[in-house]
Amino acid sequence: MNIGSNIGFIGLGLMGAPMARNLAKAGHNLHIWARRPQALAQYTGLAGYTVHASAADVAAASDIVFTMVADSPDVHQVILGEGGVAQGGRSGLIVVDMSTVAPATAREVATALFERGIDFLDAPVSGGESGAINAQLTIMVGGEEAVFARVKPLFDLLGKSVTLIGGVGAGQVAKACNQIITGVGVPAVAEAINFAHKAGVDAQRMREVLLGGFAASRILEMHGKRMLDRNFTPGFKAWMHQKDLRIVLDAAHAQHLQLPTAAAALQLYNGMVGSGMGEIDTTGMLKLFERMSGIDEEAVQ
Amino acid sequence: MKAESMKIGFIGLGVMGNPMVQHLIKGGHEVSVWARREASAADAVANGATFRASPAELARHSDIVFTIITTGDDVEQVVLNGTSGENGLIHGLARGTVHVDMSTIAPTMARKIAGHLAIRGIDFLDAPVSGGGMGAQNGTLAIMAGGKPEVFARIKPLFELMGKTIVHVGPTGAGQITKACNQMVMVAAIQAVAEAAHLAAANKVDFARVMSAMQAGSAGSRVLDFFGDKMARRDFAAGIEARLHHKDYALIMDEAARAGAPLPISAQVWQQLNALMASGWGKEDTSNLLRVLEK
Repeated sequence: MNIGSNIGFIGLGLMGAPMARNLAKAGHNLHIWARRPQALAQYTGLAGYTVHASAADVAAASDIVFTMVADSPDVHQVILGEGGVAQGGRSGLIVVDMSTVAPATAREVATALFERGIDFLDAPVSGGESGAINAQLTIMVGGEEAVFARVKPLFDLLGKSVTLIGGVGAGQVAKACNQIITGVGVPAVAEAINFAHKAGVDAQRMREVLLGGFAASRILEMHGKRMLDRNFTPGFKAWMHQKDLRIVLDAAHAQHLQLPTAAAALQLYNGMVGSGMGEIDTTGMLKLFERMSGIDEEAVQ
Repeated sequence: MKAESMKIGFIGLGVMGNPMVQHLIKGGHEVSVWARREASAADAVANGATFRASPAELARHSDIVFTIITTGDDVEQVVLNGTSGENGLIHGLARGTVHVDMSTIAPTMARKIAGHLAIRGIDFLDAPVSGGGMGAQNGTLAIMAGGKPEVFARIKPLFELMGKTIVHVGPTGAGQITKACNQMVMVAAIQAVAEAAHLAAANKVDFARVMSAMQAGSAGSRVLDFFGDKMARRDFAAGIEARLHHKDYALIMDEAARAGAPLPISAQVWQQLNALMASGWGKEDTSNLLRVLEK
């Protein structure tokens, strides 16, 4: 059964706004609401978008609702809270949460929605702002296969690699694994660039040659280039990766699981946030290492 | 001159709480107790304490209430939410009374509880302790307190019945921050001693002799004396149950992330404790960090 063309979208930030745009471009009617009214100003009167007064109103007008917010408490609030999606959604609605939150949050929300006859998928993404703009996101999904099959055509408008991983929460587990690897990878590349630089070696050439060998990775390619260009505009903000690694390590604590490398990486993101770099891109990690190495930032530029 | 007898409530009758109650009774005070299971209060009642039916009921009979419970959630329930309807301490404490929480919990939880109590004119101190069951029995605990100076001054004579080193560190939450620092330094030192024992064994060197050589030198410490000795004798029984240190690390690392403070060594110790828990040694001593390395 095809999903109708009324799509709710809540969370029009760095990622959510271009994702909503890609859905609208395909001819769908977007029903939107945001907690901050100023986030909605640009959409008032814009063709293809209807601005609503609450998340519940969005749900009442939609066949499916996507949410893309910052953290677990936000997901709880917009879906299950006062005036939330659950209050306006009728039986048969599908809710797809694309935020990165704890797997436990996904399971709690799903359970509460199932009781109201509302289906749920957790579908966190990887690929950053550029992936969202170019519809090149990697989407990792948890939930029932039949629900996934119905939503798949919409996912295809947002990303290019769309995979059902398992039951509810499985998408968030896969995203947690993604955040471990990228969370460790970014400081590793920053360390290497700082090391090369300190040793008087041209870091551009170091990166070029390494891209041909076993150290080649998307992070060395993309994040490495941003670091060398000293382009620290987000992208993906450092405080968000700190938040994601906290989710991972809290889960590891609860499961008695040893994650020494991720734990070390989290401390570096703590350092970024604590030294006022929470709002810049994670590639700003390079600046943290430079400061600790006694490098004058002015001299590098 | 003997101090004036006060009406005191006490909740948390475990390894720490029971001897602390005894010291308060010996100090001439009238002590009320409450526990989820009345049987847990048998020792305290035998020593002269009175059992009350609920935290609120206990509060109605007390000018000062001490709590020493395992988790922040438990403290929140006993103080603010009640264990069954509106029977929390807050529902029985009168204006001008004091709640002193001696549990090890998150500083943010301590501040939250203080805020709720303040609205009703009830004072609060966070006053976690160090020194273990032995320190509680001997009345030699280290007590690190956060809260208003005048409230601390009022409670100090009672602290002196239970502890030896009593420091007012700063405002509400400062006691819990101090306790976090204490746990970080202590457990990281246990890990360092475990690694030394592991290196010695890997080189077939007797760790007991390594210890006696180190104790008088710059690496000498109370942790080396106590935990090094346990490791050398391969006595891994608690002591302090490792699961409690594991619990503390979640609070510490959460606070570090919130404050934007990198704690690289603590982060590694945290992960070693996860491995210790996974091995099923949570109810044994933290000196099991050595056995994690031997796996």
